[in-house]
Amino acid sequence: MNVIETRQLEKRFGTVRALDRVSTTLPEGSTTLLRGPNGAGKTTLLRVLAALTRPTGGEVRVLGVNPFGADGAAQRSRLGYLGQETALYGELTLQENLEFYARLHGVDPDRIEFLIHELELEGVAGRRVQTLSLGYRRRAGLARARLTDPSLLLLDEPWNGLDAEASQQLTHWLEQHHKAGRSALVAAHSPSAGTGLFDAEIRLERGRLLGTES
Amino acid sequence: MNGPRVFAAVLGKDLRLDLRSWDRLGPMAVFAALVMVLLSTALPTTSAASPGWIPALVWMVFLLTSLLGLGRSFQAESEQGTIVLLTQAPCDRGWVFLGKATANWLALLGVELWTAFLCWVLLDVEWGVAWPEILGVGLLGALGLAVVGTLLSALACAARFPVFLLPVLLFPLVLPVLVLASRMTGEALAGDQIASAMWVGLALYDWVFLLIAYFVFDYVLED
Repeated sequence: MNVIETRQLEKRFGTVRALDRVSTTLPEGSTTLLRGPNGAGKTTLLRVLAALTRPTGGEVRVLGVNPFGADGAAQRSRLGYLGQETALYGELTLQENLEFYARLHGVDPDRIEFLIHELELEGVAGRRVQTLSLGYRRRAGLARARLTDPSLLLLDEPWNGLDAEASQQLTHWLEQHHKAGRSALVAAHSPSAGTGLFDAEIRLERGRLLGTES
Repeated sequence: MNGPRVFAAVLGKDLRLDLRSWDRLGPMAVFAALVMVLLSTALPTTSAASPGWIPALVWMVFLLTSLLGLGRSFQAESEQGTIVLLTQAPCDRGWVFLGKATANWLALLGVELWTAFLCWVLLDVEWGVAWPEILGVGLLGALGLAVVGTLLSALACAARFPVFLLPVLLFPLVLPVLVLASRMTGEALAGDQIASAMWVGLALYDWVFLLIAYFVFDYVLED
């Protein structure tokens, strides 16, 4: 089964084609690198897959359903998305941010404690996010994306802003995610930290699919 | 049933943010106080002249004040990137709208109470003469502003100049609320019976825009 399937997928912003007839698949259980220079369309593709941006043409199926269709809403908890912004409320503490997201998705509060412990965030869990360093905010964003224990992760430049230790931690955790038979699509233009992690690669340039390698 | 849970989560989060930071309520309260002080010094204060135009004035002050808070409703989500969390809520996104609109409604009711207090202190407006009617008008009027304002705030945050777009769209759309609420408040203050057609008109306006907003919000949140 494919967790992602796109056929002739197109996204235009005015006259600009951010995605130009992209057709690709992502098999279940794979950890795939989405590679390309700046402006290649990586972020747009991830946003379409996460149902944040509606495509202007073509077809898309994520986890077996059209994310913009009637069944799409119920699938959103099975998908973890972490964009380039950490998507956390600065005025709330890290713990409160995770509690809000857990409430949105009906997640057991015990999972918050588990992730705070695993990502070594105990010391800062009670602090407002706006007072945290970029590295901690990235880690907190990752904890948020993992809160629902998603079947498919969509990560946009996840190593940005992480120090060496946190980068290794992220790579290690992605390996664990892969071993558990779950899928991930990770956008990065230079994924030095994740070398050896990926079992496939999708290359984009100027919105076009240049190729897929396994 | 994910919808009610999402509604409660969004409402609780917005109320917590409002009460913690006062980013919205503070400027609204200060703005209302400044305008009311200016009006109290510039306008004649003879009680015989006041009932006619005071209600329209109060609702205009309330509309301008609410603009400050409504604009922040989605602008803050957009700036922090947290709009992604709302877009990914595992239910019909209309429930997200209901949570945000209810939080805005409660905030506007707080500002309404504050404005009414200032009117009583500075302009000698006697709200007590028909408080149940005035309370009803206040609740329905604030609901209309909150519903339309929340929808337009979400639309405007995707635009290039949200600060200008929100008032340009909001003022014409809430004109019926302003006209009806001003007239109903005026009649209540004068001790007259408010025509039932006006109650129906105001409630219908709120209901129609609530339904429209609920169903179009799915598309509004996607960029």
